[in-house]
Amino acid sequence: MTRTFRAELLKLRRRRVAVAVLVGATAFAALASTLVFLSAADAGERVSGRGATVASLGQAGGATEAFSIGVSGAGILVLVLFIANFAGEFSQGTFRTLLMRQPRRVGLLAGKMAALLVLAAVALAVAEVLTVVASSVIAPSQDVSTASWFGIDALGEAARNYVTALFGVAAWASLGMAVAVFVRSIPVALAIGIVWSGPFEHLLQDAWTAASQWFPGLLLEALAVGGTADVSSSRALTLVSLYVAAAVCAAAFVFARRDITA
Amino acid sequence: MVQTMTTPPLPPALSLSGLTKRYGARVAVEDLTIDVPAGVVAGFVGPNGAGKTTTMAMLLGLVAPSEGGGTVLGAPLGDPAAYLGGVGALIEGPAFYPGLTGAQNLAVLATAAGHDRGEIPGLLQLVGLAERPDDRVRGYSFGMKQRLGIAAALLGDPKLLILDEPINGLDPAGVHEMRGLIGRLASAERTVLVSSHVLAELEQVCDWLIVIDGGRLIFQGPATELLDRSGASLVVAPEHPGDLDRLRDLLAAAGHDGEIADDRLEIVVNGTDPRRLAAAVNRAAGSRGIVLSELRIARTSLEDRYLTMMNGDDR
Repeated sequence: MTRTFRAELLKLRRRRVAVAVLVGATAFAALASTLVFLSAADAGERVSGRGATVASLGQAGGATEAFSIGVSGAGILVLVLFIANFAGEFSQGTFRTLLMRQPRRVGLLAGKMAALLVLAAVALAVAEVLTVVASSVIAPSQDVSTASWFGIDALGEAARNYVTALFGVAAWASLGMAVAVFVRSIPVALAIGIVWSGPFEHLLQDAWTAASQWFPGLLLEALAVGGTADVSSSRALTLVSLYVAAAVCAAAFVFARRDITA
Repeated sequence: MVQTMTTPPLPPALSLSGLTKRYGARVAVEDLTIDVPAGVVAGFVGPNGAGKTTTMAMLLGLVAPSEGGGTVLGAPLGDPAAYLGGVGALIEGPAFYPGLTGAQNLAVLATAAGHDRGEIPGLLQLVGLAERPDDRVRGYSFGMKQRLGIAAALLGDPKLLILDEPINGLDPAGVHEMRGLIGRLASAERTVLVSSHVLAELEQVCDWLIVIDGGRLIFQGPATELLDRSGASLVVAPEHPGDLDRLRDLLAAAGHDGEIADDRLEIVVNGTDPRRLAAAVNRAAGSRGIVLSELRIARTSLEDRYLTMMNGDDR
């Protein structure tokens, strides 16, 4: 696993990847901050735990609120990226090449996943810092006070938001990896992932309100905003953890047992 | 019927016993029992779909056998981690990350296998890619990717090199170059198993042959033994085609039956020294005033022998 982790890091530690992360994080920070601050309600409670208010933005967690809200909507992007990465290894035949060098399959899968999650963790950290910067620039124009943004409490909120975001990204990533391992074809895996987590779950939620308490994509959305009126964050955390554990174990089992013929 | 020509002279680099792979009702490899001695270049030959790639995939731990087993470099086939450190392979064509350079791709594989990355420049030099190590693989020609695949297979100086159709898809110059490279890779310490569906591509570099068809073993043994069994014929042509029938009757009377093909007479050499036969034919023709314009020994090539076996004429 360690060797595969280091091998995967070699692929990721390139200028091209660093530039892509920086550009993506900058675009995310600018977009998330702008949209959250422009759409912040003047006062009152959030609707179903979603969105921001001028009051909430002025609190200790306000500096990273745009980051949290932005990441909560980026789950499908993470899913797509991980599906493309893992399914791409099958379609390019590079899993075959790697397995001839590292035959311990579960270790190979774990090492690769760990390296990609390290990159995701770094990208999230960069995105969070840049979002704080962007929010600091936009806040005065929206009459949001930044007085509470730079104390110990704010740092704690930032850390909590980061961990929540990282958990969400890891969960989406694991589900994406599992779909890719099961299906192996990039277009088919992407179609399944996108349709399931996008239209399917949300249409189901419209028809059956309890769906938000059971389906992984909806639970992850609820978790990202600290829980909703329908789903508590602890329930979301527990169920998502179970789903992810089941998906990862099933993917590892299938990857270890199945013939590599491509 | 399987023809086993000789017992392998050296301890085998790989030994398979009753190896079978089934995909549902389809049998890709059936009861394959082979031994490849250490230090040989073994040609693994059979038509497309014969089961060569599936067999190699089983050797590399990519595909699980349905039945049977064996050893690779002395370790059990069921434990690829025990022997893959000493095996290098190129199977089902070269597969690399197109966005990485050739050197970066090798670095990824070397790191995954725990090999020294310091050997990469030397390997790129060996396969003729030293000029373009920092070009992205997506810009490589197919031949360059094949050579990079060979370099990847050589990481860690493997004792067993498994190459699946390395010549497939190359232009004539590339075929010549690859054949030379395969020949250079063989050594006393290294065994090479190289597959092809065209025996002629391997004839010059192989000293051991395994022939399979329909997943079953047809032949295994030294290439020279297959060649020895191939036999030879004497091709004789008189200066004047009108003398052909007379020459045939003359030689038949001397006990050398031949068949006329176009303007030539072909006489099968049955255990006789072909040069002595040629001398006898020349003498007999001269004694009757027949001038020969052609007199040569035609040996059946390995390819002809292989095609005969594939046609089922001599199994």
